[in-house]
Amino acid sequence: MDGPRPAGTGREAGDRTAFLAPARRRLAGGVPANPVHPPPAPLAGAAVPRPAYRNLDPDDLVGTFARAVAEADGTCHVVEGDVPDDLLDRLVDELGGRPVVATAEPGAEGVARRLADRGVAVEPFTVEAAARAALGVTGAAAAVAATGSVVLDSRRAGGRTASLLPPVHLCVVQVAALHPTPADVLRHLGDPGGGLPPSLVLVTGPSRTGDIEQLLTLGAHGPTALHVVLVLDGPGPASTRDGGARA
Amino acid sequence: MSGHQLSGTTLRERTAAAVADERLRGNVARAVDRFASHRLRGLAELDDGQGGGPDALRRAARAVKADVLARLPDLLEQFADRVLDLGGHVCWAPTAADARRYVVEVVRSTGARRVAKSKSMATEEIDLNPALEAAGAEVVETDLGEWIVQLAGETPSHIIAPALHKDRHQIRDLFVDAVAAPADLPTEPAELVAFARRRLRDVFLGADVGVTGANVAVASTGSIVLVTNEGNGRLVTALPRVHVVVLGMERLAADWHQAELLLALLARSATGQRLSSYTSVVTGPRGPGEVDGPEELHVVVLDNGRSELLGGEHHEMLACIRCGACLNVCPVYRQTGGHAYGWVYPGPMGAVLTPLLAAEHPEAAEVADASTLCAACMDACPVQIPLQDLLLSLRRAKAADAGRAERAAWRAWSAAWSDPRRYAATTRAATWGRWAAPLAGRLPVARGWAAGRTVPRPAGERFRDRWRRGL
Repeated sequence: MDGPRPAGTGREAGDRTAFLAPARRRLAGGVPANPVHPPPAPLAGAAVPRPAYRNLDPDDLVGTFARAVAEADGTCHVVEGDVPDDLLDRLVDELGGRPVVATAEPGAEGVARRLADRGVAVEPFTVEAAARAALGVTGAAAAVAATGSVVLDSRRAGGRTASLLPPVHLCVVQVAALHPTPADVLRHLGDPGGGLPPSLVLVTGPSRTGDIEQLLTLGAHGPTALHVVLVLDGPGPASTRDGGARA
Repeated sequence: MSGHQLSGTTLRERTAAAVADERLRGNVARAVDRFASHRLRGLAELDDGQGGGPDALRRAARAVKADVLARLPDLLEQFADRVLDLGGHVCWAPTAADARRYVVEVVRSTGARRVAKSKSMATEEIDLNPALEAAGAEVVETDLGEWIVQLAGETPSHIIAPALHKDRHQIRDLFVDAVAAPADLPTEPAELVAFARRRLRDVFLGADVGVTGANVAVASTGSIVLVTNEGNGRLVTALPRVHVVVLGMERLAADWHQAELLLALLARSATGQRLSSYTSVVTGPRGPGEVDGPEELHVVVLDNGRSELLGGEHHEMLACIRCGACLNVCPVYRQTGGHAYGWVYPGPMGAVLTPLLAAEHPEAAEVADASTLCAACMDACPVQIPLQDLLLSLRRAKAADAGRAERAAWRAWSAAWSDPRRYAATTRAATWGRWAAPLAGRLPVARGWAAGRTVPRPAGERFRDRWRRGL
């Protein structure tokens, strides 16, 4: 295995110019407007309207987030300071002696230490450790109030599967990383100098399927349970930091 | 395992078979009702910030796709250049055969034995699985619904819920028959899902190549967005050494402003969720210092008839984001399910796409008839594709191609009934031929028309004769 491919070394197969020629030819004559339902003028960039969310309380992002996590079948714990002892004790009980995998991220490392103090086998993140583990502990790069999502960044977490293979995912996120809507995260992904990680995932509730009679069943291929711990210490939510409301 | 039935069957035969299956109709009706009510609840929460409600955002989404399609070639170049910069590979595939050949070659050169797939309608369209199997690879669908139809040797009957036509009992029996599930496996959905999870987990861990489609590709950053609920899309793009994306060339957004609006509408229109459980943004292969993720990323850009639609009467069909909302509100789909449409894409979007993308099958044209033109699909479409207008236009084209005999018959009818004397003569002839009416359904030319209809029997005496007698 040669490891990851350095940037700029992708290969192109097929004939790009020939592939695009029919499309260019057909578009050269313009696009006829549908006479019955005429199309609106094209929109791109910042002119694209941002969706507004009726469930979003701009004065209570923390409350909105906690409600949205619960409505997506996750469990949200809003805490001062650190992950509470009783939550950790409960998770340790559920482990039944099986191991835990934790990423080397802010938020996750402290929990890993405290679990190890309780006698739990905590392994650093590898795919094999994640496949064995009964609990995956990660941090998050951001959180979104309107949808109850946490944003996982593969660069920050060192990969993808610590949050995915174990049946329970515990995610610790600081309130300073809480944004009102998905637009506040997604619309900045293309910002100059930002640089996207190879994998960025908005996680909204645990894994689910409706493929059997459209009935909700949790834990299809990913975690059956998602615990999100929102830590209130430090600066307030991302959008309200300049003198705005602090939940 | 191609279950496509376009060749050798007619739309009428397929719908008659579907409508006669009451269990199928019950399963489909129950599912689409759930989808439709969730969608309405989910969309009602959205607004454009100025009180325009979700419709204002749908209008904006139509404008977004209009922009994308008008400059599609330039955006595709930008997208491909970004992917190449990131170390990914790009294949330009004008036809389904080109795409299949490339993916088979990637799998062969990897020495892969097992290919794990996340649900992708584009790979259904190009019949990828049989080609990979012919090349010696084991192909496993990992979306639960898609796995169910793969085990049953069927094709998906809904673009986001492939096994929606089956109920829990049928699925349990299938698991017992096809993959040796214990005979006492309960029919509870949670138990069936747990069984599939255990079986498919080993597939993920042992797969060498992962194949996915793409919900949106973002030109400005070279990113692929995958929207899934089960997590199989994430696993398929995390564990195998190679990730292959089959991307319909129209599935682009120019930038993240456009992509964000489309994603806000996609999940709500599909399942009513605010966001699906996992909205994954894949930008290039595994990075330095990461412990998982594909070392190789291949993006196959697929035309397969799409560029022929650009700039023409059916241009706007390329705006489709494959949410399935039009299927869930369609009175025809509700009665027949997806297989009656005969090809890959069912429902109103399928009734438009099948005649356009499967045009090499002469039987494809009549699929445009699988609609009542009630326009419920247009009202549901998150990007406001004028589906009704497109269906009408396809029907006009079909009528223009109709057989010479049919056109001659209508010409004769028109000549006869535009003259009072000749009109009177035909009604007299009908009275005399009254006894023949029940036989009309057996005439070869009228058999198709008469099936499912009662051929009216002309009255014994014409109205004009009774009138003349003074009633």
